Amino acid sequence: MNAIEIKHLRKEYKDVVAVEDLSLSVKEGEIFALLGVNGAGKTTTIKMLSTLSRPTSGDALIYGKSVVTEADAVKGLLDVSTQETAVARKLTVSENIDFYAALNDLSAQETKDVKQRCYEVFGLDAVKDKTAAKLSGGWQRKLSIALALVSKPKVLFLDEPTLGLDVLARRELWKAISAMKGEMTIILTTHYMEEAEALSDRIGVMAGGKLLFVGTKEEMFAFSGKQNVEDAFIEIVSGGKV
Amino acid sequence: MKRLFALIKRNLKEILRDPLSLIFMLAMPLLMEVLFYFIFHNMTAQFEMKYLAPGIVVFAQAFLSLFAGILISLDRGSAFLTRLYVSRAKAPEFILGYALSLLPIALAQSILFFLVGGLIDHSMFSVGMIYGILLSLVPSFFFIGMGILLGSLCNEKSIGGVASILIMGQSLLSGMWFPPEGLGEGMLIAMRVLPFKNATDLLQGGFLGYESVLTGFWRPLLILLGYAVAVFVVAVVVFKRKMQEK
Repeated sequence: MNAIEIKHLRKEYKDVVAVEDLSLSVKEGEIFALLGVNGAGKTTTIKMLSTLSRPTSGDALIYGKSVVTEADAVKGLLDVSTQETAVARKLTVSENIDFYAALNDLSAQETKDVKQRCYEVFGLDAVKDKTAAKLSGGWQRKLSIALALVSKPKVLFLDEPTLGLDVLARRELWKAISAMKGEMTIILTTHYMEEAEALSDRIGVMAGGKLLFVGTKEEMFAFSGKQNVEDAFIEIVSGGKV
Repeated sequence: MKRLFALIKRNLKEILRDPLSLIFMLAMPLLMEVLFYFIFHNMTAQFEMKYLAPGIVVFAQAFLSLFAGILISLDRGSAFLTRLYVSRAKAPEFILGYALSLLPIALAQSILFFLVGGLIDHSMFSVGMIYGILLSLVPSFFFIGMGILLGSLCNEKSIGGVASILIMGQSLLSGMWFPPEGLGEGMLIAMRVLPFKNATDLLQGGFLGYESVLTGFWRPLLILLGYAVAVFVVAVVVFKRKMQEK
């Protein structure tokens, strides 16, 4: 079953076409990585799919619901963790989870269970009584992504989740994201090739608002004639000029 | 309802856990109330507690705009609000969540400054004090609405400067620090049509009684309600538009 069906999606800002004729399907439970250089249209695509920005034309269906005409229904199906950390700064880690659970209408028992799960998957029990503002960047990002477990979305958008983190924090976050695999469909945008390689089932490559390639890592190697994701990405994006 | 309570509780905690908000919304006005009374009350009637306390209540409420604005601009800037926007919560719940979290603070300000006024000047303790406290909710709607509007328009760097213009306006145009009679005609007209002096007049009248119910009560009440409704309508429109721009 497809979790996401994108049909000829297009977004224009005045005289700039940010996303052009994007069509794509993502299967339920899949981790799909969207790769692209700056300005490729990755974040704009995420914004349209998560109802934060209205497409100029085209449509996308999240579990059969249109992001254009059924935005409210779509919102109940997804969660977004943006490039910036999205947590309540002066609440503790535990209070952040409680708050997010209440926003998602969870019962007291459900809240207790999901909090335990967040502690297990992300190791947040070590900092549960610290306010979010006092956490390091890595812990804040972990909390931000952990909150996605609370809302139990069917589709989770992770927009450059490890941007700016040190290598250790990045690896810990990879482990946590991998642990979420199968619980939800995850769309991941990233600049890090090794991140896409380590986490994703399939990879999409965008440049200049267009989707240039979609497939598995092996298909990407075959398509580009290269033997690692970074070389293959450069080959596809530059058309062999770099 | 559960979502709304969660938002109110979260916003209240965010504001009250910022020591600066407690200093500016409660401690500083309280200090001003006590100091100005003891220094000036024998020199001019303006600083007798029955006039000073209602003025201090409205002055302190102007800081609600600043701290509501800071909270919203930080939420917008940090992507926290973006995340909430794609949650099950709806835009009216966000706005009510911000507004209702500030009302208890407005009420606490009013009770504190009237009670301290009463402890200093025992003649303050009367049924008028209850009217004054209840009427103080009216200007608080205006200042909270302004906070939501400014927080939706400004970023976290500019909100302080913009909100301080409002606080300055409340301070200079409320008529609480100096008698307005000596000012020019233009200033008097501005005081009459802007919400600041009307807010002070409404509370002082509620507390002391009105010479004329029409001009002392209904006129400032309707002017303030008009501003509060207008500001809230604009704030809701701007807030929703800014969220969609995300």
